[in-house]
Amino acid sequence: MSIATVFEIVLAAVVLGLAIWTIAVPETYSATVGFVAYGLLVALIWVRLDAVDVALTEAAIGGGLGGVLLLGAAARLRNADPTAVETPCKLVRLCAAALSSLIAAALVAAILLLPDPAPTLAPAAVAKAWATGLANPVTNVLMAFRAMDTMLEKVVLLLAIVGVWSLASDPAWGGRPGPRHEADPHGVLAFLARLLPSVGIVVGIYIFWTGADHPGGAFQGGAILASMWLLVVMAGLTDTPPVSSRRLRFILVAGPGLFLVVGIGGLCLGPAFLAYPLALAKPLILGIEVAMILTIAATLGLLLAGAPERSEQR
Amino acid sequence: MTEFLTAAVGFILAMLALGLVSILRGPGDADRMMAAQLIGTAGIAVLLLLGTIAGVPAAIDVALTLALLATFASIAFVKKGLSRFEADGAGSTEDK
Repeated sequence: MSIATVFEIVLAAVVLGLAIWTIAVPETYSATVGFVAYGLLVALIWVRLDAVDVALTEAAIGGGLGGVLLLGAAARLRNADPTAVETPCKLVRLCAAALSSLIAAALVAAILLLPDPAPTLAPAAVAKAWATGLANPVTNVLMAFRAMDTMLEKVVLLLAIVGVWSLASDPAWGGRPGPRHEADPHGVLAFLARLLPSVGIVVGIYIFWTGADHPGGAFQGGAILASMWLLVVMAGLTDTPPVSSRRLRFILVAGPGLFLVVGIGGLCLGPAFLAYPLALAKPLILGIEVAMILTIAATLGLLLAGAPERSEQR
Repeated sequence: MTEFLTAAVGFILAMLALGLVSILRGPGDADRMMAAQLIGTAGIAVLLLLGTIAGVPAAIDVALTLALLATFASIAFVKKGLSRFEADGAGSTEDK
């Protein structure tokens, strides 16, 4: 047994143990911290499996933004009245456990019953990479071969933000999301919020740009940009924009909108919906991705900021 | 050289497991979050070493992403925690 195998077994055991603890621990805060650490370790596993694109997304969403979202939820739950939370009866809990075990068993069976070698379109995707001029097969699949799915995903993001906004109370509608953060303007947090975004914006754009040929892409880059924006907001250096702002709403629809325009252009001028002309494939994809990284950064940031809570003036 | 780097990965993983023990034991929220930050730092180190050993340069990008978002997560934790303590009024019983 080589060192690499030992490493993999140890890592898998640690992740499994942490996952079970995260589910079993009663306090929401501890479970959230466990989940953040879990996301980190899963990112390590994805790198080990040579799926660096997935590792990047896991690091950005699972460990980073998802963790912060859960932290906020845990803080709210703790503020809420604890007596209002009723424990479900034993039968419901038993049924839930049985259902979860059944799903886990079905997943295990599905993996064990996979034919060997598993059916794959990977060689076909790699063979057709010349058509777009992009070397990263994941970006090729996302932006060209299965562009329809990606476009619809962006529409789902838009629906998610509409869902979050619809939780606003009537007087706060159209106002600014989240509490107004105050911080010492000469403190450590304000200093960090001035220093780190300059690095973070460069890294975010780099992750997006390198996505053409290496692991990376608009989603991961957008997640980094969103976190940098929220850092500045949390330090009190700037405020979240009112959700009635036209400019904000334009940014939110820019990504899916441009995607749709290019798709319909392919339908009118070319053979099919979202068919890029060969010579223009790379510039078109890059253009869509530039619009998308802005949309993704704004959407993820606003999803984390939450529903509008304050009227526009304050 | 590769053997040395692999041994270093093993050592860091052992430290990372110790950090996990600290997450399990607590006792406070802040202790758990500090342990998660330690695991984040260890994860970055492991990624950089693994990237060098296996010749995967993109692992460095993952490490960069982790570094930025781990900082963000810890600040979000402090902000949410602080607003909670203020909301409690007398509040600071939990961090003593």
